[in-house]
Amino acid sequence: MDMLHISDLHKRFGDREVLRGLNLSVPEHSIYGFIGKNGSGKTTTMKTVLGLLKGDSGKITVNGERVVYGQTATNRLIGYLPDVPEFYSFMTASEFLRFCGEITGMKRKESETRIEELLSLVGLGCEPHRIKGFSRGMKQRLGIAQALLNRPKLLICDEPTSALDPVGRKEILDILLAVREQTTVLFSTHVLSDVERICTDVAFLKDGVTDMQGRLSEIKTKYRGKDYRLETETDSELRLITQAFPHVTIGEGNRATFCESDYTVSDVLHFVADRGIGILKIERLEPTLEDLFMEVTGR
Amino acid sequence: MKSLLSFTKKELLEQLRSGKILLVGILFTVFGIMNPAIAKLTPWLLETLKDSLAESGMSVTEITVTAMDSWVQFFKNIPMGLIAFILIQCSIFTKEYSSGTLVLALTKGLPRVQVVVAKATVLMALWSVGYWLCFGITYAYNAYYWDNSIAQNLLFSTLCWWIFGGFIICLITLFSTCFRSTSGVLLGIGGTVFALYLLGLLPKVSRFVPTALTDGTSLIYGVKKSEDFLPALIITAAIGFFTLFVGASVFNKKRL
Repeated sequence: MDMLHISDLHKRFGDREVLRGLNLSVPEHSIYGFIGKNGSGKTTTMKTVLGLLKGDSGKITVNGERVVYGQTATNRLIGYLPDVPEFYSFMTASEFLRFCGEITGMKRKESETRIEELLSLVGLGCEPHRIKGFSRGMKQRLGIAQALLNRPKLLICDEPTSALDPVGRKEILDILLAVREQTTVLFSTHVLSDVERICTDVAFLKDGVTDMQGRLSEIKTKYRGKDYRLETETDSELRLITQAFPHVTIGEGNRATFCESDYTVSDVLHFVADRGIGILKIERLEPTLEDLFMEVTGR
Repeated sequence: MKSLLSFTKKELLEQLRSGKILLVGILFTVFGIMNPAIAKLTPWLLETLKDSLAESGMSVTEITVTAMDSWVQFFKNIPMGLIAFILIQCSIFTKEYSSGTLVLALTKGLPRVQVVVAKATVLMALWSVGYWLCFGITYAYNAYYWDNSIAQNLLFSTLCWWIFGGFIICLITLFSTCFRSTSGVLLGIGGTVFALYLLGLLPKVSRFVPTALTDGTSLIYGVKKSEDFLPALIITAAIGFFTLFVGASVFNKKRL
């Protein structure tokens, strides 16, 4: 079953239509990358799922339960990390988590052990200071701890890594990977390398609709091009090939690429074998997420 | 219920650590001391000004100060105390809107109505502690220097003023749910009180307006009886609860 299902969601701010019939299915125990340009509607979608914004039309269910604006009961199933999480700065990290535990109705003993566990997971175990003096990375890590506190079925993170340095980013991604067994993660981002590192599924958002979505591996297969790259030992050998196959384009070094629509791989390989050309490698080109992103965003 | 208690606890902790509890405490203590002090100092003040007053044609005769003068000061000063209290506390909601701190608590399933109830309760508790502290100090000094029994309806008149303060807290809550900015809240309260004051100038309705509750001086002098205040008391309480109800409903649908 899908942990989160959005169908035909519309949202308009004044005369600007941000979401135009968005559909999204997030399967259980996936790490779902929600990718889009700035201003494409990622945060709006997430806030609507949390009942913080009211969708104009459409239906959202979390674990099969419908989301209602305002008094949102489905939020008990969700852990949320906003893009810039704001805490009561007069509290310490453990005081804040205890406050969150009481609000969600956790038993005192249970919350104490959970808080200890989470604070050490996010590396804030022995932090006696008030949140006032926390760095951005520390706040982000505390944000994840509070989001995971009541063992949510769905963890929603809004651009959790975009404001962090490489070390902070790695820490956050490692935490997200570590919690995959316990929960489903939906996170929005425009940092594609993060998606490649941890996501199992992705959706590209463009102009308020999801343009492409599904398992990352399947999408890559689907959009795999028919281009091949070949690298020879010497320059003269490469020239032999280009003479025989004029549509081959020469790249840097002794590399050349060709498309399967021009020449079949077996033809090229036969030629190589017949002439005894030494090749270093021949590979089928994988589309990078960046290629897909560019294709979706139309740039 | 546990979440309401927890959010109330958080509010109190915030008031404590931000120093607002201390500020309110000092404020009302100073006012409490000021009331009898001003009354006590009046004869001395007039004595020193005697010569200059004589030059302008006024003669100062023997002045006897009683507890009455101190209580009149109390009713003159407490509006300033309330205004200061409003200025200290008017950002109790708006600060959370601008910083976005409520988002995490609400997405954790905290019922929105509990936010309104907790904040209004803490405001009322602080106002009560401050107000009765001020009353207690004035009462004690008056008892020491003079005699409090001279003032009629003393407890009732101060109770009326305390209830008026509670009414203002309901207004803070209502306008905080309607507006996002502190200035909006202040304008709302100021506008409402001014409108009520204007309404109170009409003889026919003056008995029914909440601002009528602030006329403690007439009560202690016996110019008005406690029964005269009953309509205003009932109406104030009714409007107060109604504004709280409206505030909670507005907050339920508020975009955060």
